[in-house]
Amino acid sequence: MSDQLSVAQRGKIRRLSQPRELAPDEEGGELNIVPFLDIIVNILIFVLATVAVTFTSSIETTPPSGKSAGVRSQIQSEALNLTVFIVNDGFSLKASGGNIAPGCTGPGPGIAIPMNNGKYDYAALTTCAAKLKEKFEDEDQAYITANPGTEYQILINVIDALRRNASGVPMFENVNFKVPR
Amino acid sequence: MAEAGQSTAIIRYKAELRKAIRRNAHDPEVNFLNITAMLDIMTIILVFLLKSLGESSNAIPQSDDLRLPTSVAKTDPHQEGVTLTISKSQILVGDQKIITLPGRESQAQTGVGAQHKRGGPNDLYIVPLGNVLQTARRTDVSVRRAKGLDPSTSEAIIIADRGTPYRLFIEVLFTLGQSEFGKYHLMVMQSKTLGG
Repeated sequence: MSDQLSVAQRGKIRRLSQPRELAPDEEGGELNIVPFLDIIVNILIFVLATVAVTFTSSIETTPPSGKSAGVRSQIQSEALNLTVFIVNDGFSLKASGGNIAPGCTGPGPGIAIPMNNGKYDYAALTTCAAKLKEKFEDEDQAYITANPGTEYQILINVIDALRRNASGVPMFENVNFKVPR
Repeated sequence: MAEAGQSTAIIRYKAELRKAIRRNAHDPEVNFLNITAMLDIMTIILVFLLKSLGESSNAIPQSDDLRLPTSVAKTDPHQEGVTLTISKSQILVGDQKIITLPGRESQAQTGVGAQHKRGGPNDLYIVPLGNVLQTARRTDVSVRRAKGLDPSTSEAIIIADRGTPYRLFIEVLFTLGQSEFGKYHLMVMQSKTLGG
């Protein structure tokens, strides 16, 4: 008889043998980091979405040359020596053969590429430079000089106009500056 | 005799209880997602992005005082060299302010102004800038030697505002040249159209 457990004892065994439910503060002791995670994810998405999509580039050049002539490392003879003067009325071009006439037709006085509707005509400058490049295929150097008040953006535009033709073929990739007279 | 029977019943009860506890015991159930590792990854990515964006040469801070010109050039920006910044109001070498610039009209006529020149308003050499560049040049010579590069000349990265007048620009280039900086990288923003 004593080997048998009573009903009360069996009930007590059943009750006490059940796994104990942990209190909320005993469950692994973890912080509730879900709101923090939300914030981090939002910041991450915001940063990725607002990354500047402007890409920078750089244009190489060398120290400015003096008032007379530029420093030439190559092509000592029969060089084009193209110099673009950015003046108030447009672009005046000078090469080894002398000043280039308006319309880029040949040597002669005047502004080679006058302003077009009050704006500098970069397309015409590219066309004129391409004409000169055809005659001096080995030449890749050009000089720029400008009025003291000429904006840097205009210099960069002139460099762009000289570096490649309309088809993207390289023309005068070595562009240097000259000290204005 | 009765006491012995009671003791046996208690022993049996305790044994049954131990057995029942062992039978019902189970491994703790993972009923939540452990996101700590994921949070770590997110935080590391965020810090990495913020740091790399801040140090990237693509991230030149632009403001009303400094707007880069646009160009159709697609070459990668050069990373190595002394950084020289010409904004509307000041000239900096690295993060060090060198000169406060006068108004634009004055910049177009005499550049940084006669008081900063070696020989009057028509001179091109900017004395305070030249002094700082010579110090930077000495440091750069050591750096270039350590890297196995040609130390005879240094390179400069020029970050100039798009409205910088040619006179001031030439003065800065001339001073760089006088300080044995022989190659310059003009920083521009890429654009699809010329003048765009």
